[in-house]
Amino acid sequence: MNERQAPNPESADKWEVQLRKGSLELAILAALWGGRLYGLEILRHLESGSDLVVAEGTVYPLLTRLRTLGLVESEWVESDSGHPRKYYSLTAAGRERALEMGRTWARFAASLNNVLAPLNGLVREEKP
Amino acid sequence: MTLPEASQKAIDGYLAALRRQLRDLMEEDMNDIVEEIRAHILDKTAAGADPAEVEQTLAALGAPGDLAARYCTEEMMRRAEAHRSSTQKARIAGRWTVSILAGLVVVIVSAAGYSFGGLLVIVGIAKVMWPKGTGLWETINTDGTMTLGLSGGSGNVPPANNAHDLLGWWLLPIGLILGPAIIYGTYRLGRWTARRLWPARKKFNYAASEPQTEI
Repeated sequence: MNERQAPNPESADKWEVQLRKGSLELAILAALWGGRLYGLEILRHLESGSDLVVAEGTVYPLLTRLRTLGLVESEWVESDSGHPRKYYSLTAAGRERALEMGRTWARFAASLNNVLAPLNGLVREEKP
Repeated sequence: MTLPEASQKAIDGYLAALRRQLRDLMEEDMNDIVEEIRAHILDKTAAGADPAEVEQTLAALGAPGDLAARYCTEEMMRRAEAHRSSTQKARIAGRWTVSILAGLVVVIVSAAGYSFGGLLVIVGIAKVMWPKGTGLWETINTDGTMTLGLSGGSGNVPPANNAHDLLGWWLLPIGLILGPAIIYGTYRLGRWTARRLWPARKKFNYAASEPQTEI
């Protein structure tokens, strides 16, 4: 899932990559809504709860970026596995941002679904 | 926990490459990132038990250079830049403080050295001019205490009737040899300290400049 290797700028693949990339920040903030998680837990949460194929090399830098933006905070916690793990949790600003993005997403999805109404029957048939 | 050698080597190599590529970031950020990726690899591969699994995990993370590039965002670079300039400022302020304090000490020590040396020279000369009145006088006071004083002149007589000169003519070599020696020593010490504390930025070539100063 390397967005740099998108073969053709015109392709639907590239559009999908951009879509996933754009929604990853919201997905991560939402994953942390229930409490603190470390990187691999966030990855597993995203993969189990969705068919989002998440690149590991994308999530970690994004988590660091969210931290510099003050949306999440992190702490190192000792574990039984022999090495400490870096746990992330939402800050107040992060919660606010998650809600704001969630609302925007819901509004956007509803509008787009309205526009897509003519394709409805066909699109649903494709997915088993 | 001991890892198979191949796993350990692959993980260390990957993290070392990642660290190199992150060198522009703040050291604190760099360490944080490298440790987090290490934890991820160990968690993902049951502590690196299977070398093939380690290889797969490293591949999923992408090349160290690509991964590092995703970390080096504008915010992180700005953070590193801000940190660099603040430590630089602190270093310069520290250097100035040390410089000023050392300068103060040099001034005080020099002042003491020159004064004492100068005093000895004056007393030495006074001994030649007023031999009877000049000396290191020990005076027994009426209440039994003792006063020690270096004096000269005052009409070429001892400062008190019961005053006793401790040095006699020894005062002459002490004043005229030790005095200048102390002055010279103070000068050398001051110059040496100054050179150590404030080294010249570039060597000035005196030989080459001589013809110009002659004009």
